[in-house]
Amino acid sequence: MNDNTMSIPHLIMSASVVVQLVMLLLVVGSILSWVVIFQRSIALRRAKQEYNQFEESFWSGVDLNELYREIPADDPRHGAEHIFQAGFREFNRLMPKTRNADTVLEGVQRSMRVAWSREEDRLTQHLVFLATVASASPYIGLFGTVWGIMGSFQSLSMTQQATLATVAPWIAEALIATAMGLFAAIPAVIFYNRLSNNASRLLGKYEDFAEEFHAILHRNLQGRDGKPSAS
Amino acid sequence: MGKDKAQTVTDAPRDPQDVGYTLPIILAVAVHLAIIIFSLINWPTSSAEPDSSSIVQATLVSTETFTDQAQQVTEQQAAMNNNAEPVEEAQTSEPEPEAEPEPDNQAQQQQAAEEAARQAAQAEAEALAEAQAAAEADAQRRAEEAERQAQEQAAQAQAREAEAEAQRQREAEAQRAREQAEAQAQREAEAQRAREQAEADARREAEAKAQREREAEEQRQREAEAEAARQREAEAKAREEAAAEARREAEAEAQREREAAAQREREAEAERQREAEAERQRKAAAEAAEAAMQRQLAGEAEAAANAQQAQQAANSFINIVRRAVEQAWLIPPGASDSLSATLQIRLGPSGELLAASIATSSGDSAFDRSAIQAVEQAAPFGELRDLPADQQRNLRQINLRFTPGDVR
Repeated sequence: MNDNTMSIPHLIMSASVVVQLVMLLLVVGSILSWVVIFQRSIALRRAKQEYNQFEESFWSGVDLNELYREIPADDPRHGAEHIFQAGFREFNRLMPKTRNADTVLEGVQRSMRVAWSREEDRLTQHLVFLATVASASPYIGLFGTVWGIMGSFQSLSMTQQATLATVAPWIAEALIATAMGLFAAIPAVIFYNRLSNNASRLLGKYEDFAEEFHAILHRNLQGRDGKPSAS
Repeated sequence: MGKDKAQTVTDAPRDPQDVGYTLPIILAVAVHLAIIIFSLINWPTSSAEPDSSSIVQATLVSTETFTDQAQQVTEQQAAMNNNAEPVEEAQTSEPEPEAEPEPDNQAQQQQAAEEAARQAAQAEAEALAEAQAAAEADAQRRAEEAERQAQEQAAQAQAREAEAEAQRQREAEAQRAREQAEAQAQREAEAQRAREQAEADARREAEAKAQREREAEEQRQREAEAEAARQREAEAKAREEAAAEARREAEAEAQREREAAAQREREAEAERQREAEAERQRKAAAEAAEAAMQRQLAGEAEAAANAQQAQQAANSFINIVRRAVEQAWLIPPGASDSLSATLQIRLGPSGELLAASIATSSGDSAFDRSAIQAVEQAAPFGELRDLPADQQRNLRQINLRFTPGDVR
């Protein structure tokens, strides 16, 4: 019978309005952060798979023109494919206009950098929200606790005799806010670190791929420099 | 080959970044629901670990008034202190020691009487007068009863012996009373009357004295009756003398002890009450067997036996109440071990708490309040319904004594 009055739902229901609002905010934050966690996890895993597939097909010896043609122009791709598409499109456009290899390579590099930074933006999307929840929710919960204890002491001053038994439920219900804040913050911190690490590793792979692709183009240009002059 | 690879690439989900939000939302909500359910299921079991009742000691004082309680305590303690083992053996099991020779009994009784009188002489004047009168009354009543039983059994020799014993005892006490020369008129009159009336008037005198000191008389009378019952039964088995003798001796010593204890009582009352509580509980078990025996044998002893049985049942109920209250009691942090408060609790017919009030305050209001809160938390005591109706009525109002003590 004592457990009933001290159970968590009972404590939450009997808390003051401000504390309840804080708890609601924390619950919403926690749910949203978990949504982000799941969404980002799935997205990053798929991006990684896709990168692996693309890398395999890229290094399988297929002709780059063929590879490029297989990607529909009106269907924007992501990841390394996007970088490859942007770089190769720029290469194809510049080739007829200039014979200067440095200019071509510079344009290709710039367009690939743009594509890479768009990819970065895509991959790290919403991760900032996780960081925000991770850093802010303990403070929000602490605020709820402080507010609840404040209220408990105010009402305690009204009573004639204050024992531990009269203070304890108040403090317990106030502390729930802190507990919820930590409950929201801890997974957010862990998954923020994990997901941002995954994203940065993937971005590093994209960068490596861009460099390698750049090297291939450079090699091709060296070869073509002779060809056009010959023809 | 390369084409196949490329085909798989194009077949893969178009936008790996644009993962739908419905699945993550469902997963996130599921995670939260799982956690909430887990906490709801786990919470009661994790928080329900029982408090160790070792910190707390709540003792039941009595179902009766306090003066009765104090007397009971002193009597029992006295009986315990000076070799009460023979008495208890005689009470619980059929007295093993065979009938001792009669002269021994007489000599012992004489010694006991002398010792009692000597002790009384040392006591204060007023207390001594009363106590000695009580001793006299007891001895006379005992002698009278023994004689009456002997007559019933047509054992004239024992009657004579009992008379002789009573006379010798009375003479010794009367002489000493004369020597003390305090409040002599009353005591001398009593002694003379006793000597004159001898066995026939002994009962009348005892009654007259019983009126004077009713509280103490009641206790002693009950014991005397119980003893009488045991005596008669023992006579039937030709073993009554041993039991009666042991009883008489213990009684005399108990009285002596009680007189001495009356002086000590004020100094160590709290401790003694706690001890006596334990002793009474231990004794209750022994008395239960005795009560059953007595009920079969003696119609006279029925009242006493009923009282003992009621006490036993009450004790078991009281133990339940005590344990419940102990567990619910949160001692305020500043309370010292010397504090003790007595609560008067009134219970409804089904064991619900009607009222809990402070009978004797400890002087610390927080301590008193914690005790009341403990009782309120522990209520209701549904075990009350399991008891017989007449005992229920007795237990509707009980007194609990709260003392923060050591591990029991």
